[in-house]
Amino acid sequence: MRRVALVGAGVSKFGVRKATYRDLVWEAGKACFDSVPGVKPKDLDGLVVGSVMPERTAFQSHISSMVAEALGIRPSALSARTEHMCASGTVGIRYAYAFIAAGLADLVMVLGVEKLNQPVADEAVLNMGTGVDREWEAAFGLTAPPCFAFAAQRHMAEYGTTEEQLAMVGVKNHTHAAKNPSAHFTKGATLDQVLGSRMIASPLRLFMCSPITDGAAAVVLASETRARALTDTPVWIRGTGQALDGFQLSSLHEDYAHWPALKRAAQAAYQMAAVGPHEIDLAEVHDCFSIAELIAYEELGFCHKGEAGPFVAEGRSDYGGDVVVNPRGGLIGCGHPLGATGVAQAAEVFVQLRGEAGARQVPAAALALTHNNSGMGEHVVMIYGKEPA
Amino acid sequence: MTYFRALDPFPLESADHTTLHEFYTRLGAGTLTTTKCRGCGRSAWPPRGFCAECGAAAFDWVDLASEGTVHAFTVQETGLPAGFEAPRVFAIVKVDGHRVFTVLTGAEPAALRVGQRVRLAPLRVADDPKGNPRWLPAFEVV
Repeated sequence: MRRVALVGAGVSKFGVRKATYRDLVWEAGKACFDSVPGVKPKDLDGLVVGSVMPERTAFQSHISSMVAEALGIRPSALSARTEHMCASGTVGIRYAYAFIAAGLADLVMVLGVEKLNQPVADEAVLNMGTGVDREWEAAFGLTAPPCFAFAAQRHMAEYGTTEEQLAMVGVKNHTHAAKNPSAHFTKGATLDQVLGSRMIASPLRLFMCSPITDGAAAVVLASETRARALTDTPVWIRGTGQALDGFQLSSLHEDYAHWPALKRAAQAAYQMAAVGPHEIDLAEVHDCFSIAELIAYEELGFCHKGEAGPFVAEGRSDYGGDVVVNPRGGLIGCGHPLGATGVAQAAEVFVQLRGEAGARQVPAAALALTHNNSGMGEHVVMIYGKEPA
Repeated sequence: MTYFRALDPFPLESADHTTLHEFYTRLGAGTLTTTKCRGCGRSAWPPRGFCAECGAAAFDWVDLASEGTVHAFTVQETGLPAGFEAPRVFAIVKVDGHRVFTVLTGAEPAALRVGQRVRLAPLRVADDPKGNPRWLPAFEVV
């Protein structure tokens, strides 16, 4: 297999945007091309677009071709859309990685985009129900918060994890987002604010949850030869893993505080990269809800099972700790425009490993991990390095 | 034409639309059932037309207990989809070894506990476009 690297990355402003789906594509595409002056749209031989529900939110399918035309890309080797709910962006990066590693493409853009907000707010929430099983779950009014609330309740009962510890994830990520001008929220948050925010699904309060956000992000992946010709500081893909336990709540691990699929996905990525969890300098993990970040610490091997509450409380997942988790502000601070999230995580890793992250730079960052999930039983992990091996 | 949305959140349950229609017919009559594979004899939740264990596609309907115990629950107070009222009690109920995702109707949230006994209370939702009644397998506290 050939080596593959990121050579460019850019994100749109995330938030409740006065913008169309296509406006967001233009904004992220422009930012990405600006980051790599040697690449013009027609130089790309591939495009993968991660997007979950434009059929509902923008009344648009045929997404990859629409984005190609919007950005002036003429794919000659790969054109595809990936839909894997909240993990669509990283699943798209894996497609592009595999095509380039196999020699089937050389220079591919992966763009994630979602326009979730609608003129009627609870309609946007109704759309989110398409991500769980319609007949056996969404028909009852289920969306993501109750699923992760089950996990939080179980983690609290089994390990003594507290509401304060759940809230500390919200504080940390809102604080990080305050240094990220692209984030949905840029005002930070105190522990009192998080604990005093309104209840969504017990025990998860508003500031422990990612909001409904519009946004887009793009990265360019290149073969080693093209990467070295385009930049002195490519960011290398070192490892990748994906694993699924199940789709419906009825078929996941019976203890919702245990996510075996994440552990398997991480092990595959660590093995491929030949690194261990304690070597990771920064991690962009899928904190769709604060409990998800806590469980991710454990399944990714940053701490032992059950110890995630103290891990965040002691600052071990913050600057100066063992590993900086979600320096861009995570999904809680940046927002979660589904298909864009995994690509935005990669875009953060790109600037961090090149030392270009400004006020939120993780000192001496050399190895980074991203974790994207699409439910408690479906996980994707990527490992990136400043060096190719 | 005025602004409108169209997303019916409920299953199409009649024989015109699903091979699992008997589940809903029996549910409407007050009985919880599921599929049992004719190939390997395993029963599944939710009902399914293809056995994940042995690959057979033939099944029989079997009755499940009308009572179960709460395995997990949460009360959603805000952020519900259009058409659904808060507070809403979502739960996983254990019935004959299966984990059934459901809502608990008429429950007092503060009094709920894991392990609590609940019983089937079929919930009638919006009729389908032909006027056929539609039901969901909800539960209530015993």
